[in-house]
Amino acid sequence: MTRDIALGQFVPGKGIVHRTDPRVKILLLIAYITLIFCSFNFVSLGIITAAVVTVIALSGVSFKLYFKSLKVIIFIVIITSLLNMFYGTGEPIWQLGFLKLTMSGIYRAIFVTVRIILLILISSCLTFTTSPTDLTDAIERLMSPLKVFRVKVHEIAMMMTIALRFVPTLLEETDKIMAAQKARGADMESGGLIKKVKAMTPILIPLFVSAFRRAYDLATAMECRCYKGGEGRTRMKSLHIGKTDIIGIVFSALVLTGVVLCDVFILPII
Amino acid sequence: MSFISASGVKYSYDENGSDVLKGITLKVNKGEFIALLGHNGCGKSTMAKTFNALITPREGVIYVDGMDTSDDEVTYEIRRNVGLVLQNPDNQLVASVIEEDVAFGPENLGIAPDEIRERVDKALKTVGMYEYRTHAPHKLSGGQKQRVAIAGILAMKPSCIVFDEPTAMLDPNGREEVMRTIKLLKEKGITIVLITHFMEEAVLADRVIVMEEGEILIQGKPGDVFSEVNLLKKHSLDVPQATELAYKLIGAGLRFSKMPLTTDDCITFLKGVLS
Repeated sequence: MTRDIALGQFVPGKGIVHRTDPRVKILLLIAYITLIFCSFNFVSLGIITAAVVTVIALSGVSFKLYFKSLKVIIFIVIITSLLNMFYGTGEPIWQLGFLKLTMSGIYRAIFVTVRIILLILISSCLTFTTSPTDLTDAIERLMSPLKVFRVKVHEIAMMMTIALRFVPTLLEETDKIMAAQKARGADMESGGLIKKVKAMTPILIPLFVSAFRRAYDLATAMECRCYKGGEGRTRMKSLHIGKTDIIGIVFSALVLTGVVLCDVFILPII
Repeated sequence: MSFISASGVKYSYDENGSDVLKGITLKVNKGEFIALLGHNGCGKSTMAKTFNALITPREGVIYVDGMDTSDDEVTYEIRRNVGLVLQNPDNQLVASVIEEDVAFGPENLGIAPDEIRERVDKALKTVGMYEYRTHAPHKLSGGQKQRVAIAGILAMKPSCIVFDEPTAMLDPNGREEVMRTIKLLKEKGITIVLITHFMEEAVLADRVIVMEEGEILIQGKPGDVFSEVNLLKKHSLDVPQATELAYKLIGAGLRFSKMPLTTDDCITFLKGVLS
């Protein structure tokens, strides 16, 4: 059961999005998210939608997976769009008691829906096309200027790497402990919420104990391999900006200019 | 000159507690394959940790390739030179991609990227895990994971590797894989210290050291050590199954010119007796 949890699902591939430098991808993701929330009329929203669709089409990851990631948030989308629909101002076009449906409310709902969907799509695109190690690596390098403020950038990245490495191991262990406790007669399915939460105790305690033991072992193993922090460490894979990255940056710059121009010259709808 | 030389090593985990190591003196020669045997808690794992300066003795000294392990200046040089492979393969792998995990050691040593690449490929080829270089560790079998852990040590180019019960958590296939790798490393001239509970693994060594309660009980060639069946039995230690059989047959009046250590030895002897 625990195996179904897909964390940072990475889909290996060799497409243009996969080959883009992870640092560039993270920065572009931030840019796109900003743009998604800064498009105030249909034209700019259209541009950013087209851009996102192009990127996910180029990613070479099947659309099925993208739909799967959207399924999780469908309720949030429906509820927020319903709320927005009835929160508009101006002439009501339809009214039922205190519920007022207005044109601005409908626009608002459309914008919110499209924005959330785009947000999920573009962020999924990053995790689908970037391996967890590349991600932590990129975060470490992007954050390295923070070292000036004594932020322990290397340590943070190392913790993320180890956490990602041990997620599957600990999930497997959870399964084993659950099976072991069930074999001893532990009841985990019946009862209300509180009873179910309480039933987790016999799973969590052994899991924590073993996690500490693993941490101790891992620390020993890391010391054996001469780990002494980030100081004087080199990396096998060095990241460098290549042709694909330039293409990505230029493409995104065009999108950015388009959205900004539309925002400036076309009247905002919401 | 011996590669590792320990003299009068004493160690205790807490200040007032009793000593885990009670004055151990031993030598490991360059290129030698040593098997370290003994009960749980006899101090063999502690001994292993003193070899690469993870712990320093309370009394006595250990020299590794002429370097004193209690000298802070050379700690990392010693750790690079003497690798340690632990029991649980899962807990030794740091990264979520095999090749990046193998690169961890050389990266810590501050080696140039091109050379790390070279070392990683070579180490993975040596242990036969090159095809799996882009896989995730949790998708591998225990034996494969342990071989990746060995590759991670190999990439630091050590002259000695200490194995602390590397096969204890593996199935027979995995054990076979790991032992084959260890034999290969021995042929490549790497000094091996193997801590194990499996006597069948110990007979492969050049020299066997048996520890008991923080002291060395007996040491010597496997044939000589395992001939002391009575002494080992008295300390409720195992001998290889072939030796055990021969020992019982001797009790029944059969005569062996030499104690057999492996199943093959035993078969040859029994054939001789029967024909």
